[in-house]
Amino acid sequence: MFLRSFAIQGSWNYRTLLGAGLAFALLPALRRLYGNDSARLDAAVRRHSGIFNSHPYLSPMAVGALAELEEEGEDAAVIERFKAAIRGSLGTLGDRLIWAGWRPVCLLFAIALVLLQVRWWVVVAVFLVVYNAGHLLLRIWAYHLGLTRGRGVGEQLRRSWVPQLQRIMSVVGAFLLGLVLPLLATGHLTGHRLALPWVVVAALAAVLGARFGESVRRPIGLALAGFALVGLLLKLVI
Amino acid sequence: MISWVTVAIVGALVGLDSTAFPQAMFSRPLVAGTLGGLAFGRPLEGLIVGTALEIFALIILPVGAARYPEAGTGAVAAAAAWVEAAGHGPATALLLLAVVFGLAWERIAGFSVILLRRENERLVARDAREPPGAGDVERRHLGAMAIDLLRGALIALVGALVGGLLLRVLGPFWHLGAPTAEGLLAIAATGMVAAALPLFGGFRDRRVVFVAGLLCGSLLLLLV
Repeated sequence: MFLRSFAIQGSWNYRTLLGAGLAFALLPALRRLYGNDSARLDAAVRRHSGIFNSHPYLSPMAVGALAELEEEGEDAAVIERFKAAIRGSLGTLGDRLIWAGWRPVCLLFAIALVLLQVRWWVVVAVFLVVYNAGHLLLRIWAYHLGLTRGRGVGEQLRRSWVPQLQRIMSVVGAFLLGLVLPLLATGHLTGHRLALPWVVVAALAAVLGARFGESVRRPIGLALAGFALVGLLLKLVI
Repeated sequence: MISWVTVAIVGALVGLDSTAFPQAMFSRPLVAGTLGGLAFGRPLEGLIVGTALEIFALIILPVGAARYPEAGTGAVAAAAAWVEAAGHGPATALLLLAVVFGLAWERIAGFSVILLRRENERLVARDAREPPGAGDVERRHLGAMAIDLLRGALIALVGALVGGLLLRVLGPFWHLGAPTAEGLLAIAATGMVAAALPLFGGFRDRRVVFVAGLLCGSLLLLLV
C-alpha cells in the first residue's frame, strides 16, 4: 500500500481528483479483507473511488488510516465522513509545508550552487538527495501515523511539529532568496559580469518582484519575449 | 538518432514524475533541463537553461485543481533545442531564445495535462452510477499512467524538434549582441526570484533574514 501511494495521482481528474488513485492504493488491504467476496470488494472499491483529495506526500496517512478503519469493520458512512474531514487538512498542510516550503527552499539552495559554479552533477545530486530525504521521511511518517492512529490522525496532525517546521522553512527560504539575488543581478547565471546599468535595472526588477509576487510572472515573461522579438526584428529593419 | 530517443525517454519520465508517479522532482526544470542537455552530451548547458526556467517555475504552486504550465517537459525541450542549435548564432542570444521558447512550450505542455485529466475523467470517473470494480480500477489507473508517459515523451520530443528548428533559423538574426541578451536574462531572473519572497512571508515579516541573505550574497560576489 505504501509503494502504491506514490502513484496515487496517476489518474488525477477534475471530477473525483485522487479518488481512483486512493482506491488503487487501498486495493491490497481491501483484497486481504474481502478477497473471497467479490461483491463486497467491488463495493468497497467503488466507495473509495469517489471524490478525494490530499497532498500526495501526506496521502499515505489517509491510506493507512482508511485501511485501519476498513479492518475494524467500520460503517461505510463513518468512513465517508472521515475522508471528507481529513481531505481538506491533508491538502492545505502539505501545500504549505512542501510546495510553499521544502521544495522552494531546496530549489533556491540548488540555484545558489549553480550560480557559485558548482559542478552540474553535484548540483543535481545534492538537490535530488536532500529533497527526497525530506520527501520520503514525510511519507513514512504519514503512513506510520495513519496505521497507528487510525481516525485520530486529525488530532495528531494538529499537535504535530509541522507548523514549527513551516516557520523554520520560511526563514531559511527568505535567507536563501536574499543570497541568490546579488548573484543573479550581476550576471552569474550566464557566467559573465554585467555592466552597472544592467545591475541597477535588475535591482529594480527585484523590488517589483518582491512587491507584487506571483503576478509579475506573466509581465516579465511577456517582456522577455517582446525584447527577444525586437532583437530579432532589428536585423531586418537596420 | 539516439539523442532524440533519449529526449523522448527523458520527457516520458519527467512528464510522469510531475504529477502521476513518483513526484521525486526530477521533473523540476533544473533537473529536467540537465537531463535534456545530457541527451546531447551537454549537461552543463542543459543545467543553465533549466535553472533559468526553474526561476520562472519557482512560484507556481500545484494547489488543488489549479491549471498551470508544465515546466519539466518544457525544460527538456528547451535545453535539447539550445544544445542542438549551438553554433547558429551567439550562445547567449540562443539561450535567451531557448528560455522564451521554453516558457511558451510549458504552456502547450500544460494544456496537454488538462486534456489528459479530462481523458482520465472519462477513464476512471465517467459514470458515477456504475463506477468500475476492483480489477477495472487497477487497469484503468495504470492505463492513465501509461497515457501520461506517452504524453510526456511526445511533448518533449516535438518541443525539442520545433525548438531546435526555430533556434537554428532565428539565431543568426539576433542583432542586439550577447551583453544585451545576458542583461535581459539577468533582469528577468532577478525579478522572478524576488517574486518568491511572499511565499516565505513577504518582506515585512522576513526583512531581517532577507537582508542578512542579501549581505551574504553580496559578500560572495567578492569571493567568486
